[in-house]
Amino acid sequence: MKLEELAFARQDYAYAFLDEFAKRELRRKILKAIAIPGYQVPYASREVPMARGWGTGGLQVSLALIGQSDTVKVIDQGDDDSVNAANLRRFIARMTGVKTTTDTLAASLIQSRHRIPEEMLNERQVLVLQVPMPEILSSVQPSYALAREMHSDGDYALLWLGLYEDLVKYREVSYGADYPVLVNGRYVMAPSPIPRFDTPKLHQAAHLTLLSAGREKRLYAVPPYTNVYPLEFEDVPFQIEDQRGWVDASTGATGKFMSEIPQDGGSSSYQLSDTGLKQKLERQMTGEQVEIGATYFDDDTNFYIAGFLKGSS
Amino acid sequence: MAYVAARGGEQAIQNSEGLYRILNGDLTRQNIRAIEQHMPYLVDRVMGEGSLYAPELAALALAQTGGDLYEAVLLLRAYRSTQPRLFYALPISSEKTIVVRRISAAFKDIPGGQILGPTLDYSHRVLKLEALETDSIQEPKLETKNPAPSSYPKLTDWQREVGLLAGELEPVVQTSREVAALPDITREPPVYPAPRAQRLQALARADTGGILTLGYSNMRGYGGIHPTVNEVRLAYAEVQLEHPITGAVFSAGRVRVSSAEVVTPFSSGKTPPELSLGFAACLGWNETKLIAASMLDIAMSLPNPHPAHSEEFVLSHTEPVEASGFCIHYKLPHYVTFSSDLDRVRKAQAGGSLQPELEEVTA
Repeated sequence: MKLEELAFARQDYAYAFLDEFAKRELRRKILKAIAIPGYQVPYASREVPMARGWGTGGLQVSLALIGQSDTVKVIDQGDDDSVNAANLRRFIARMTGVKTTTDTLAASLIQSRHRIPEEMLNERQVLVLQVPMPEILSSVQPSYALAREMHSDGDYALLWLGLYEDLVKYREVSYGADYPVLVNGRYVMAPSPIPRFDTPKLHQAAHLTLLSAGREKRLYAVPPYTNVYPLEFEDVPFQIEDQRGWVDASTGATGKFMSEIPQDGGSSSYQLSDTGLKQKLERQMTGEQVEIGATYFDDDTNFYIAGFLKGSS
Repeated sequence: MAYVAARGGEQAIQNSEGLYRILNGDLTRQNIRAIEQHMPYLVDRVMGEGSLYAPELAALALAQTGGDLYEAVLLLRAYRSTQPRLFYALPISSEKTIVVRRISAAFKDIPGGQILGPTLDYSHRVLKLEALETDSIQEPKLETKNPAPSSYPKLTDWQREVGLLAGELEPVVQTSREVAALPDITREPPVYPAPRAQRLQALARADTGGILTLGYSNMRGYGGIHPTVNEVRLAYAEVQLEHPITGAVFSAGRVRVSSAEVVTPFSSGKTPPELSLGFAACLGWNETKLIAASMLDIAMSLPNPHPAHSEEFVLSHTEPVEASGFCIHYKLPHYVTFSSDLDRVRKAQAGGSLQPELEEVTA
């Protein structure tokens, strides 16, 4: 046996780009995050060849986890073909050689910005959410140092007060996406800017969700089968976006999150935001045999856990 | 050009990068060399903020990005983060650097003397338009007269001696092992209040424009500390390594370094008052940034700093890669979040979710 047979071929970069020390740190921090659901774990956050704010946190977590047998899906706004999703997927594939897919069911690791897929994820899948602002308290306490103390104290009064003030002022909560959630009864967490439609999908989910903010150097997790409740008053329940009557223009699908496309003349048309699902539905319409998984919401926007959503949408 | 809604995102990326290259010309070794040789202050700035001393790579980064500073800094940082850390150099002592410029605004003359050195500070800011008409302008040759001393004492030494500055220096790191034990901002995320080593590292890598903005706001009176420039130094420093086996110290090369110290009376809050010292240093020569940074160093240490000069505020908002990256991320599609916001706006416009409850209460 010769040395050159034992050695790997020379490479410009390590497998999955990050050096092994960076991966080790990330894996340790991920384990800590899983052990303390919703708690923001600081990590060093290496510079990667993408601009900060463009998914560098999610990318580092993905790169630290991806093994050669993984299949990766990357979406931005639900779309596999969005330029930044395409760019991240291209980078991951180039640095690891793993298979990529647009099919949620075929993916073992899904990196996403702003969406959770419509088809239900299972215990063997990991969802990595890119996070711009990990600190849910930043709207009421911009100093991360002070917000950290508030988390330690479980002091979320200012968040509740903000919700109350919204109702007094607008008769409506102003949080759109990134709606605050209480994880495992302890930490209030920013679920990343997913629409409220996706928020309930985190509750008692079968899959592991990892959330990572590269710029702010914080990562956190929702382990499988963990309670995740949106902050809501007993008499003013949490509400998902009201998209009743919105129908996907090409497939006729309903009850899934839609993109609104303004039309000339003041009207709008609608498209499924989850393009992986949309493509499968379109292929199904041509008579092709396509496997479509169970979805979190049915065609009438009923969530699969009855009674979880108390407010009508 | 397809942006997001259209299919074929990967093709769109390749085309847009191709267009950029066509518009900005080919990368040539000649151009890279020219940038490295003729734009040393620009190269210094990229190296300093990129926190990697590599003039050739910094010039390449500038050439590759058409001179887009933030992109160039990001390229260097992203390259840096792939490089293994083989050794820790010995600390650079200011007294042992080869000083080319060293001035103090605090006294007319100082021990070791004022050395004006290479600077445009007192030049007339007049465009040399004749350079456009001729091949080159010959600058008059200077004769070497008095050899400069190889080292200069620190003004702070004198100030400590006479009791103007707080007595004891913090323990100085001396061995490479001690250097390796310092908290490293690229390996340990800063949690505020940050250790002093991390503060100085963050300032060294900070965005020149950002530091200038915050520093200038202090100079204009927002939490103003009334500083005096104690000493500004431009120098070359030997990067000294210990041989891993023999322990012999050898130089791996010279780097350009600069440092600034400012002092301010009364801000320590102590009675009787003494001078407070602010310090900043970076790779490359960047006087403007360091003067502002050393003032911010004092401002951040005040018991109740102005909100714009608290340590967390200054350090987290002057990080060039993070600030520029997040700023341009707003170009990414946000239609999911916007749609979620619109849902709230439409509901609020229609009277809000609270309406039925309110009616119950008022009924």
